[in-house]
Amino acid sequence: MNSWGHVLIRVLIYLVAAPLLGGLLAGIDRRISARMQSRVGPPLLQPFYDVAKLWSKEPIVVRRSQNFYIIFFFLLTVFTGGLFFCGSDLLLVFFALTLSGIFFILGAYKASSPYSFVGASRELIQVMAYEPIVLLTAVGLYMATGTFQVDAIWGGAFHPLKALPGAHIPVLLLPGVFVALLYAMEIKFRKSPFDLAASHHAHQELVRGITTEFSGPTLAMIEVAHWYENVMLLGWIFLFFGSCWPAGLIACAVTYFLLLVVDNVCARVKWPVMLRSAWGMTLVFGFGNIVVLSLLK
Amino acid sequence: MSGLTRSPWVIHYDASSCNGCDIEVLASLTPGFDVERFGIINTGNPKHADIFLVTGSVNQPNRDVVRSIYEQMPEPRVVMALGICATSGGIFRECYNVAGGVDTVIPVDVYVPGCAVRPEAIIDGVVMALGILEKRRLRLRQDAQATSGDLRIERATAEDIPEILTIQKIAYRSEAEIYADQSLPPLQQSLAEITHDYERMVFFKGVINGKIVASVRGYDNGQGTAHLLRLSVHPYFQGRGYGQRLVAAIEQSFPACRRFEIFTGHRSERNQHLYGKLGYARFKSEPFNPQVEWVYMEKQRS
Ligand code: SF4
Repeated sequence: MNSWGHVLIRVLIYLVAAPLLGGLLAGIDRRISARMQSRVGPPLLQPFYDVAKLWSKEPIVVRRSQNFYIIFFFLLTVFTGGLFFCGSDLLLVFFALTLSGIFFILGAYKASSPYSFVGASRELIQVMAYEPIVLLTAVGLYMATGTFQVDAIWGGAFHPLKALPGAHIPVLLLPGVFVALLYAMEIKFRKSPFDLAASHHAHQELVRGITTEFSGPTLAMIEVAHWYENVMLLGWIFLFFGSCWPAGLIACAVTYFLLLVVDNVCARVKWPVMLRSAWGMTLVFGFGNIVVLSLLK
Repeated sequence: MSGLTRSPWVIHYDASSCNGCDIEVLASLTPGFDVERFGIINTGNPKHADIFLVTGSVNQPNRDVVRSIYEQMPEPRVVMALGICATSGGIFRECYNVAGGVDTVIPVDVYVPGCAVRPEAIIDGVVMALGILEKRRLRLRQDAQATSGDLRIERATAEDIPEILTIQKIAYRSEAEIYADQSLPPLQQSLAEITHDYERMVFFKGVINGKIVASVRGYDNGQGTAHLLRLSVHPYFQGRGYGQRLVAAIEQSFPACRRFEIFTGHRSERNQHLYGKLGYARFKSEPFNPQVEWVYMEKQRS
C-alpha cells in the first residue's frame, strides 16, 4: 500500500513538473538560439504563451479522425514518461514510446495532404534511424547494471559479474553507446541537421511537415507532448550516470547545450545521409562498445 | 491580455510585389529588428498562422491563391496589407492584369502604406492587428457559448449565398468521411450552381451574432409536395437543435404543401435519426453511386 502511494505521488509530480520543465526548456532553447544568432529572442515563457494561444484557436481539420490519433499520441507519450519516472522497465518505456510515435505518424497520414505525407514518411525514416541505438541503449544498460529497472539503475545497481572499476556509473562502461545515443538525440529533439520531418523554421519545402495539417488545440497538444517527451529524453541521459546525480544533471545541461550548438551551425541533410550516419554511429560506437563489454570479464 | 496577443504567428504571401516590401518583411525577422522578441514567428503555414501579411497588388492569377490561404487560416485571424501596392494597387493599379489592393479579394483589417513599407511600420501594424485579434477571440468565445435562444432564423438573401455555400461545404465534410467519397453533390456545388438554386428555391439561414451557422433550402414541386434539401449546420453548432428548428421553419413557409420530402445517404444515421424525430418516415431508396444509396423520407402535414 505504501509503495503504491509512493508511485502515485511520483506520477503526480511528474504530470505537473514535466510540462513545466519541458516548456521552460523550450523557452531557454529559443532564447539561447536567438543569442547565438545575435538576436534578443522571445521571453522565456514564450512557449507557454504559444500553447495558450493555440488552445483558443479554431480547430481546422481535413478529417476529424486525424485528431483522435493525436490524442492517443499525447496520452501514450505522457504514459511513457510516467513509466520511466516511476522507475519501471526500460524496455517497456522504449516500446511504449515507439508506439506513441507511430500514432503521431498515423495522424499525419490520415490528414492526407502531400506535405503531411512527406513529413510522415520522413518521420518513419527518422524512427528507423534512431530505433537501433535506442534498443542498444537498453541492452548496454542491462549489461552494465544487470537490470532493466530504471529505479535500480538510478539506485546505482551494477552487474556483480562485471564489477569493473567505476561500474556503478554506467557511462564509464558505455561511452560508445552514450555517444551514439547523443547522435540519436539530435534526431529525437528534431534539431538541425536532422529536422527532416518537421522543422521549427518557416519556408521549408515541406511547409511544416508532419504537423502541417494540425491546427489550434491539436497543435497545442502536440507541442505539450513534445515537452513531456523531451524531459524524458533528458532522463535517459541522466540514467547513464546511475546514482551519481550531480554528474547526471550537468550531463543533461551540457547535452542540451550541445544539441543547440549543432542545431545552429548545421544545415539540414538529406535523409540517406541521416540514415547512414545514424546507423554507422550505432554500429561503430554502440555495437562496438557492447562487443567490448561482452569480452571484458 | 491573452496568449493570442503574445504569440502572433504570421504567414507572408507575395502577391505581385516588386520584392521591395518582401525584403522589408524579412528584414524585420533579422537581428536588427528581431520581431521574435514579441513572439512573432513566420510560420509559412496558413493553418498555424494568426496574421496574414500580403505584399504587392493582387492580380488575376493569384486572386485564388490569396483567397485560399485566407480560407485555410483558423479563426481568429487578421489580414494586413503591407505596402502601397497591397493597400490600393499602388503604381501598378492601372495595369491590365492587376485587380487592385488585397481588399478586392479578402477583407483587410490593417493597411500599412509605404513604398517600400519600413520594418518599424510593419511592427507598428502588427501591434494594431493584435488589438483586432483579441476582439475577434472574445467574439468567437461568445459565439461558442451561444445557446439555441440566440439563433435567429430568417429567409436568406442573395448576398448570403456564398456564405451558405461555405457552411454547406464545411457541414458535408463529415458525410464525405462516412462514405470516403469526396464527390457528393453538396461538396461539388459551385457558386454558379448554388446561385441557380437560389433562383428557384427558398433558402433559410440560421444566424448567430451576425454569422450564418446553418441553412436549408426547399422548393414546391407544384403538386403539393415540398422538397427540402441540403440541411447544413456548422459542426461546432451541431447537436443544439438548430437543424430541427430550421426544418420546422422552412416547412411553414410552404403553406400550400400537404407533403414534405427529404433525402440523405443510407449510412448517415445521424441525419436519419434527426428526420425521424421530425416525423419523417422512409419510403424508398435509390442507388446514387456504388458507395452511396439515397434514402428518401416523407412526412404528411398533420
Ligand atoms: S509598395 Fe513599393 S516596394 Fe512594396 S511592392 Fe509596391 S512597389 Fe514594391
